[in-house]
Amino acid sequence: MRHLSLALLAGTAALALAAPVLAESHAATVRIAGFGGSDPAVITNLLDNVLAEDIAAAGITVEYTPVDGDFSQFILNALSAGTAPDLFYVDIFWSDAIISAGQAAPVADASFGPALIPSIADAFTRDGVLMGYPKDFNTLAVHYNVDIFDEAGVEYPDADDTWDDFAGKLTAVHDALGDDVAGMCLVPDYARFGAFALASGWTPFNADGQTVLDDNFRRAFAFYTGLAETGAGVVAADVGEGWTGGCMGSEKAAVAMEGAWMIGFLRDSAPSMVWGTAPIPSDPVSGQRGNLIFTVAWTVNANSAVPEAAQTLAALLTSEKAQQAVLEQGLAIPSRAALSDNPYFDGTDVANIANRIVFEGASDGNVQPYYFGSYGGAWMEPINAALNSVMLGETDVDTAIANAQAALDTLMAQ
Amino acid sequence: MAIDQQDRREERAAWAFLAPFLFLLTVFFFYAAARSIYFSFTDYDLFNPPAWVGLSNYFALVTDPLFGNALVNSLTFALFVTVTQTILSMLLAVFVNRIAFAQGLARTVFYFPSIVSSTVMTLIFLWLFQRQGIATDVTNWFFNHMPAIATFLAVLIGAQVALVLNARRKYDDVGAVDPLFLLFALIAAVIVTLACRILQVFPAGTYEEPISWLNTRDTFLFMPVTLWSIAVMNIFTTVPVLMLLYLAGLQNIPGSLYEAAEIDGATRWQMFRKITVPLLNPVTFAVVTLSLIGTLQMFDQVAILGTAAPIESRVTLAYYTYYNVFPPGGSPRLGMASAGAIVLGIITLTIVFLQRRFGITDKGV
Repeated sequence: MRHLSLALLAGTAALALAAPVLAESHAATVRIAGFGGSDPAVITNLLDNVLAEDIAAAGITVEYTPVDGDFSQFILNALSAGTAPDLFYVDIFWSDAIISAGQAAPVADASFGPALIPSIADAFTRDGVLMGYPKDFNTLAVHYNVDIFDEAGVEYPDADDTWDDFAGKLTAVHDALGDDVAGMCLVPDYARFGAFALASGWTPFNADGQTVLDDNFRRAFAFYTGLAETGAGVVAADVGEGWTGGCMGSEKAAVAMEGAWMIGFLRDSAPSMVWGTAPIPSDPVSGQRGNLIFTVAWTVNANSAVPEAAQTLAALLTSEKAQQAVLEQGLAIPSRAALSDNPYFDGTDVANIANRIVFEGASDGNVQPYYFGSYGGAWMEPINAALNSVMLGETDVDTAIANAQAALDTLMAQ
Repeated sequence: MAIDQQDRREERAAWAFLAPFLFLLTVFFFYAAARSIYFSFTDYDLFNPPAWVGLSNYFALVTDPLFGNALVNSLTFALFVTVTQTILSMLLAVFVNRIAFAQGLARTVFYFPSIVSSTVMTLIFLWLFQRQGIATDVTNWFFNHMPAIATFLAVLIGAQVALVLNARRKYDDVGAVDPLFLLFALIAAVIVTLACRILQVFPAGTYEEPISWLNTRDTFLFMPVTLWSIAVMNIFTTVPVLMLLYLAGLQNIPGSLYEAAEIDGATRWQMFRKITVPLLNPVTFAVVTLSLIGTLQMFDQVAILGTAAPIESRVTLAYYTYYNVFPPGGSPRLGMASAGAIVLGIITLTIVFLQRRFGITDKGV
């Protein structure tokens, strides 16, 4: 009895001593930072409404800073100066600059990775370790102007289209409506062309980590650049536009290959346009589709003073509850596989259909993240240069590819 | 003794006034420059401690094709823009100085491009230089009407020369651009050009192709086409500022010199060449020096262009430095960036020194 009393006393004393420490760890202030633009409305809604109770229950106070302008420069400067927030966005495109420098903490919850769509999880996995909480993603899809196709008397693009079918429809639109309307809007950019290159079975990096612009790449390259020559496509710059969505919004082209961001863009810039969305056409030779994944993750600062609270908050911000709320407003596409059965995707509105097709794009065919390791954007530049020179008529396909291969070899030898 | 004390007080006061500037200079120039020199000998990514690599970054610069592009682009851009904007600003200042009517308004109008921010001006030029933009339309129009323009100019010059030569056989002192003869020559040129057009003598122009002013890897003479476009923009925005410097210089040239020259029978061209240009030498030195430094450090207009033009066609040494600090999607390369910045600094100092030593000096005549 005496021992029991002593044990109780000791336990009580220990609890009393530990109480302030426990209280401190639960009442953490987590500083977070994300993009500017329309994103703060989404995050504020999550913090103040959807997740408010969960965040309070976890004893977390959030200080949120949206950053307009170039977020990668902001976060690189802040991390190097030691003033970075505890939790921040990392875009897959520049993720290597953060992760390889040891500035990102691995995801603590082992159950989070398996809950993600595999290709999304792979994008942020380095050496088998998940390095961020992907919050949403985008892939490319074919968005088309229904009225233009109707006026031209041409069938809409659909899921059964091969490259040849697709090009045939685009050419038919152009032939029917004349020079004022092109089939598809094109940009000399791997961020769009990549979907065709990947569909061909070509891989950006082979087993040795080298980039080889092989015959599959050439086939995709010739198809994509050939669209401009046959009238099936028009280069965005030639019609005074900076991106393919701009061409479609101004009805200079019937088709734009973009992500789900087109939904908001067309809603704002062309509210009366009747449009639809179809998957990217497949390569008639490989029989596969290709696609690129554009994704952003909440990443815990490796030097955060409140790492556990930051991990908890990241998990909440990317929880099924949060992603479902965002999805049901049509604002972003969830990274969690479980939400593939969400009734939202069964909706018949164009936005529901577009989001479903973009969601399915992550798991359909040869899909790669929009990420090029330590090379960063420098890896794309030779390919973009080759696309540009052929599309401008400055050189032919084989010369352009040979030049790109030489530039890539130089880059990889550095 | 009292004078010594006063001198010391004045010296202390001078140092006190200089102290804030010296502090800023020490922190933001000397310290920063010393850090850049140190980083240029290291491999540094902003996060891990800098690792000493000796001259590796400088050797890497030599083998980096992008640095070669940046070096050539910077030097040719600086040379062309400096020469062009110096000549244009001097001529513009002389012209504005001669205007008798609404001189203040003319100065304001000519200065206007410099008031607009560099960012806004670049965006306006981006719009002008679109593949199917106004620059393309004007160029296509020019080529489509080349026969008509050539005919107009040929008749104008031919008629003027004929009229002047004919008049000089009878009268002395007939000017080459005599206004009355010019009016007759102009009327003749318009009539002949219109007649040829009505009779459809000129072939129909067929230039309709969009022109890549920015998004191209083509070069024209010694510079990428993209950089020519940027040079036009840079000259347009900088000439007015330099014009003001020349206007100030022109105020200091005594009018009596021109009067004396006029009495001696000097022509306007001789007065400009023998009086105006030499007496503006100190201003020209300042203008050339400022232009060289500004153009060698060309950054903002190149950066704002962004992906509207290929990197090789627009990269300058200053942009190369920035590009290495924040490579798109890649890890910062502070060592390479610092080495590039040091090379840029050395080149700038060397060129300005050579210009001062062998070019235009700041001494008047």
